This record gives sequence, C-alpha cells and structure tokens, in this order.
Amino acid sequence: MSATERGAPRRSATEQSGTREIVISRVISASRELVFEAFTEVRHLSQWWGPEGFTTTTRAFEFRVGGEWEFVMHGPDGTDYQEWISWTEITPPERIALLHGETRDDPNAFESILTFAADGAATRIEMRTVFPTKEMRDEVVEKYHAIEGGQQTLSNLDAYVTGIVRERAEG
Amino acid sequence: MAGVARAATTSDVFNAIAEPQRREILVLLRAGERPVTELAQALGMTQPGASKHLRVLREVGLVRARKAGKQSLYGLDAGGLRPVHEWTGGFERFWNESFDRLDAYVQDLEQTRQGSS
Repeated sequence: MSATERGAPRRSATEQSGTREIVISRVISASRELVFEAFTEVRHLSQWWGPEGFTTTTRAFEFRVGGEWEFVMHGPDGTDYQEWISWTEITPPERIALLHGETRDDPNAFESILTFAADGAATRIEMRTVFPTKEMRDEVVEKYHAIEGGQQTLSNLDAYVTGIVRERAEG
Repeated sequence: MAGVARAATTSDVFNAIAEPQRREILVLLRAGERPVTELAQALGMTQPGASKHLRVLREVGLVRARKAGKQSLYGLDAGGLRPVHEWTGGFERFWNESFDRLDAYVQDLEQTRQGSS
C-alpha cells in the first residue's frame, strides 16, 4: 500500500457547531480483527495512542467492561497529562464504548463509542463522542488544543485566523 | 455509517471562507466595524455584491451587524470560526494523528505476523 493512497477520502469528520457530538471516521489498512486487537492490549495501545511524538506510561490496565486504564500521556514538549479510561461495552470485533477522563472521579468524563466495520480488506473506524453538554464539548476541544501544543486558544482566535487570512491576501 | 460529508453550501463556514473576496472582507473587518458602503468601495465591488457576501458571512456566524442610525455596521464574530479552529487542531486532530499511527502500527504488525508464521 503506497503512502499516497492514504489521504483525504479515507478520513472524514463532522463538526456540528452547536451540538454535543463529534464524529471522526477513518479507514485503517488492516483486517477488522487486527485493528480491534490494537485497542485491546496495552502493548499495542502504547505504540499508537496520541499524535506523533507522544508516549504513554501505564499504571493500570484491565481490558474488560468496568475495567480501567490509568496512564500518563507525555507530550513532546515534556508536559504530562493524567488520563483515565474505563470500558463500558466490549463487543469483539465490532464495538467498544469507553468513558474518558483525567481520573476515576472526573465529573467531566465523556463517552466515546468506537465501531469497526470491514471495508474490503481494510477497516473503517468510526468514533462517536457525545458530550453531556455543549459547554463540556467546547472545554474538551480546548483542552485538546492545549495538548496539541502551541495551539491558539479560542480567545486568540480571531487574531489568529484573520492573521492567516491577511498573510494570504498580502502574499 | 460512513463519515457524514460537510454540507456543500455556503451555510458552511469552510465554504464561506473559501471565497477570496469574503476573506478580504474579514481582513477589512479585523480593523473594526465598517458599513457596507465602505466595504464595497475598499473591495472595488458593487454594494449589492458586498451585501451578498456579508449575508453569507452572517449566516455562518463570522460577521454580525448592528444598527447605527440609518446604516448597519458590520463586525467580526470570532465564534463562527470555531469549526475551523476545531478542524485545524484539538480533539479531531489528536484522533486523526493517533489513527495515522494506528494505521502504520497495524500494518507493521500484520507483516511481522505473516513473516513469522
């Protein structure tokens, strides 16, 4: 599979401004069983979780409904993030639902539902995340901006985006 | 379900800012509120033309208008840029990049297993 085959048509996402949901969809070039397996063991998860340059240190991991994954995510700039995941549904090799927060007691934990569908020899993952409120959705998006590092927060947004617009207009 | 495509209309902020003249309007409004007459003049276009662009920008929440005497003043509304902000970073980027790594990882894993069996 050539690298040029991976591109825009193989991934998509919807942003429904004003709603509480984010859906991310992506085709992975491997069988559904294998892609599903990569979500079930920490030796796999630690190899791919997070953007390029991120690593994880796991404190506890028990893949079962009600089980937990406690870990620290290390950003490329040296910042550590406490992460906590608990599985609420596991249906191999089709579906995983999980709660995602910073700690077990996190009142802002949110639920993501991952579905795995065979797409020829490949697998389409859809990750549907529903936030309890729109405000929480916005908070999480902001947090992930910070995690990505050096991203502008929403308060700087108009200056940032219109700055890009200006560069293009002048360039 | 396949990913739901973004609506291909100007009611989408991405389509709204894809149009160069509408981006120019945003640049002009960065300096502060302006009436449509000034915007039309600065852009070298007719007033109805500028009004049409402003309507699109208002519909997607990038521009807001307020009455000042007989005329309307148009100003930037950064809240409308939220979908662009989210697309360029944040949660979705985190997951798209994670899925890039997952894609590479499972392909390696598949090859390793085929090689060793």
